[in-house]
Amino acid sequence: MTAKPSSYRFRRALFILGFTLPTFLLFSLITAYPMLRGLYISFFEWSGYSGSMSFIGLDNYKRLLKDNIIGTAIYNDYFLVFWKVVLILAIATFLAVALTRMNLKRTGLFRVVLFFPNLISVVVIGVLWRYIYNPSDIGFLNAFLSLFAGDPVKTVWLGQENTAMWSILAPAVWAGIGFYMILLMAAIMNIPESFYEAAGIDGASRWHQFKHITIPLIWEQMKVSIIHIVITTLNGSFIIIFLMTEGGPDNSTQVMGSYLYQIGFQQYHMGYASAIGALILILTLVTSLILNRLLKRETIQM
Amino acid sequence: MKLTKTESLVTWIVRLLVLVWTAAVVYPLLWTLLSSLKDNKQFYGNKPWALPELPLQWSNFAYVWTEYKFGGYFLNSVGVTFAATALAVLLSAMTAYVIARYPFRGSSLLYFVYVSAMMIPLILSLIPLFFLLDGIGLTNNLLGLILVYGAGALPFGIFVLVAFYKSLPKEMEEAASIDGSSEAGTFFRIMLPLSKPGLITVAIMNILTIWNEYILGTVIMNDPMKKIYTLPVGIAVMQGEMQYRTEWGPLFAGLVVSMIPIIILYALFQRQITGGITAGAVK
Repeated sequence: MTAKPSSYRFRRALFILGFTLPTFLLFSLITAYPMLRGLYISFFEWSGYSGSMSFIGLDNYKRLLKDNIIGTAIYNDYFLVFWKVVLILAIATFLAVALTRMNLKRTGLFRVVLFFPNLISVVVIGVLWRYIYNPSDIGFLNAFLSLFAGDPVKTVWLGQENTAMWSILAPAVWAGIGFYMILLMAAIMNIPESFYEAAGIDGASRWHQFKHITIPLIWEQMKVSIIHIVITTLNGSFIIIFLMTEGGPDNSTQVMGSYLYQIGFQQYHMGYASAIGALILILTLVTSLILNRLLKRETIQM
Repeated sequence: MKLTKTESLVTWIVRLLVLVWTAAVVYPLLWTLLSSLKDNKQFYGNKPWALPELPLQWSNFAYVWTEYKFGGYFLNSVGVTFAATALAVLLSAMTAYVIARYPFRGSSLLYFVYVSAMMIPLILSLIPLFFLLDGIGLTNNLLGLILVYGAGALPFGIFVLVAFYKSLPKEMEEAASIDGSSEAGTFFRIMLPLSKPGLITVAIMNILTIWNEYILGTVIMNDPMKKIYTLPVGIAVMQGEMQYRTEWGPLFAGLVVSMIPIIILYALFQRQITGGITAGAVK
C-alpha cells in the first residue's frame, strides 16, 4: 500500500465535510436547537413575544404536580396507549394471519385496500369522523342507531365525558391498523413454509400452529409494533384530539400534547408549556425503556 | 391437507371478519366521495347513507377550488412537498453515503444522534421553532415550511440510506477512484444513480408524510389574513368555518381533493410504500 499524501487526506476531509455539514446545520437549526431550547425555556416564566424571560427554577415543574388537568391528560394518554396497543395489535395480527395463512383469495387486493386509512391526513380523518359523530340529524352514527332504537338517537359522542375518549379511540385505531398489518404480513411471509408443513404432518391444528410457530417467529416485529405504537401515541395523539375535541368538554379529553398547545399557543405561558413538553419526552423515554425490558424477558421465556 | 369441519367453519368466520373490516375501511372513504357530490338540501333532508341525487353536484369541486381557495392551497402543498422532499433526499443521501462508506471519527455518534431524533416528541420543539422562524421572517413563508419539513425528514432518510449504501458492492467506487474520479464525482455519477431504488422509497415516504402534515403547517402558517395554507391546514380552517356557514358538499369535495394525489401515488408506488414501512420500522 502506498503512503497517502497529505493533499489526498485534505481532499478527503473536504469531501466528508462538504457532504455532511449542510445536513448537520439544517438538523441543528430546525431539530436540535428548538428541542434543547424547549428544555431551557421550561425553567423560565415567559409569555412569548415580550422580551422578558424570568428564571424561576423548578417552579414550572412543581406546578405540573399540582395541576389536576395534567393528571387527566396523563391518564388519557395512557388510555389511548393501552387500547391502541391492544386493539391495533389484535386486529392487525388477525388480518395478517388471515391474509397469509388461511388460503383466502385475492389477498393482494385486500392488502392494498386495507392500507388506505394510513395514507390519509389526520385532518381528513378528523373531519370525516366528526361528521360520523355529528349529534344532529345529519350525523351518520346517530342516524344509523336510530334505525334500531325506537326514538331518534341524539347522543353527543364527542361532547360528553363518558363517550368522548372512546369516540376518539375509534378513528385512532381505524387509521392505525394497516401499517402494522403490512409489517406483520412481511414477517409471517418470511417464515419458511417447511415449519408449517412439519407441524401439519404432526397433526398440529391451525390454532396450534399459530400459537407455536407464527407468534414466536413474529414476536420481534410485534415488539417493534408495540413500541412504535406507544411512541407515536404519546408523541402524536394530540393532533387528532386537537382536531376533534380540542381537549373538551371541560378538559376531559386533554392529552399532554393538546394541553401543551393550549397553554402555550392560546394562553401564552411558554415556560409552563415547555415543562409539559419535557414531561412528554421523559414519559416517552421511560415507557419505551420499561417496555423494552418487559418484552425482552418474555422472549427469553419462550 | 383436508380440513376438519371445525377448521372449515373457522375459515368461513375468518373470511367474514376480513370482509367486515374491509367494509369498515372502504365505506367511509367511498361515502366521502359520494357526499362530495351532494348539495346541502340532501345532507339535511336525506339519510346520511342515501346516494347523491342527480344531477351530481360536481360544482362543489369548482366551488371549493375557487371560493375556498383550495386551488392555491393545492399548489402550495405540491410546491412544499416537492421542494422539501428533494432537499431531504439529497441531503440525507449525501450524509448517509459518507457514514456508510467513509466512516470518520464521530460518524457513528452522528448516526446515533440522527436516528434517535426520530423518537423525540415534535411538540417539545414546537414553541421554540415557531419563535425561531418568526424571528427570521420565515413564518407565513413557504420557504420556512420547506426547511422545516426537509429537516424533519432527514433522520428517516439517513436511517434507510445508510443501510442501503452499506449493502452496495465496494468495487464500484474502487474502479472509479482508479479512473481518477473524485469522491464527490463518484457519488453523483455512479452511486446516486445506483441507489435509485432506495432514494425512491425514501422520497415516496417523505411525500406521503409531508403532504398530510398538519400541526407544523398550522403553527407556521398561522396568519388568517395571508392564508398561505397547505391543503390539510386549509381543510381544518374550512371545518372551523362550518360553524358559521355550513357547506358540507364543498367540505367533502375538499377532502377528496387532498386524497386523490395520494391515492394515485399509492397506485403507482404500492411496492415501494410497503418496502418503506418494513425498512423504517426495524429501528
